[in-house]
Amino acid sequence: MSSCSQGPNEKDSQLALMKTVNPNPTVTEKNKGQDKVEKIEKEVESFDEIYDVAVVKGKKDTLVVYKVKHMQRFNMKEIEKDLNKTLEKKYPKENFTVSSDYKIFLEAVRLVERKNNGSLSDKQAEKRFNEIVKMSSDMK
Amino acid sequence: MASKQKNMTPQQQKYQQLQQKHELKRPVLKNCIKAFWVGGLICAVGQAISYFYIYFFHFTEQNVGNPTVATMVFLSMLLTGFGVYDRLGQFAGAGSAVPVTGFGNAVISAAIEHRTEGFVLGVGGNMFKLAGSVILFGVFSAFVVALIKTLLGMWGVL
Repeated sequence: MSSCSQGPNEKDSQLALMKTVNPNPTVTEKNKGQDKVEKIEKEVESFDEIYDVAVVKGKKDTLVVYKVKHMQRFNMKEIEKDLNKTLEKKYPKENFTVSSDYKIFLEAVRLVERKNNGSLSDKQAEKRFNEIVKMSSDMK
Repeated sequence: MASKQKNMTPQQQKYQQLQQKHELKRPVLKNCIKAFWVGGLICAVGQAISYFYIYFFHFTEQNVGNPTVATMVFLSMLLTGFGVYDRLGQFAGAGSAVPVTGFGNAVISAAIEHRTEGFVLGVGGNMFKLAGSVILFGVFSAFVVALIKTLLGMWGVL
């Protein structure tokens, strides 16, 4: 029953680990820095080793999650380091949380979907966003 | 080998030759292919279980290995108890012994074997007869690797 009310976009997160999703870059607060988030996504996509990117911007942090091409998974740490360096150089004012973890990616996709569906308010989205950022920082 | 043959009587050498002639050759390639496929299949099941934990529980890619390993070991223990894993082991050989499921099989098969000797001295005393060495050398090698990593970290290499 619940699957009927989820709508077509909900399927993206169901298959997020199997296929390329490339969700739209999202901002938890409406009309605040949407352009910048899109630029960040393009910047991340320009990395050859990366193929699926989700960018979500909250009040304080910006979450960048991505998938790494299979044969490049041996260089995960280096890719993360490079990406962090590039982003911090180009956007020194932003506070980035960068991760290639599947769980963080999945949760980011779910957040984007629920935000776009309108099932999450700005405040709820920000709360969930902070939880995801915390989950990601707990791993380090 | 050559010195062994020198010590043999001509009769024994003849017998050796005859035995070598009639001995069945092990189908090494066939066994390898079987082990590869069954081992790969077990790993695919493990991957599916880890995706299940990522999707429906709060496990990240980093710590999803723990419940996945526990589940796989538990499943292989059940299958050993039901007598299914023995057949699989017969068919796939190393393909079923090398993945972590082989560990569960080693524990339970030893426990079943010594059940008649009682719960404490039989099951308890012999349960880790096979798997004990895996735990011992696993813990020891983990200790050595951690030590090397710590030292390299202290010297600034890593």
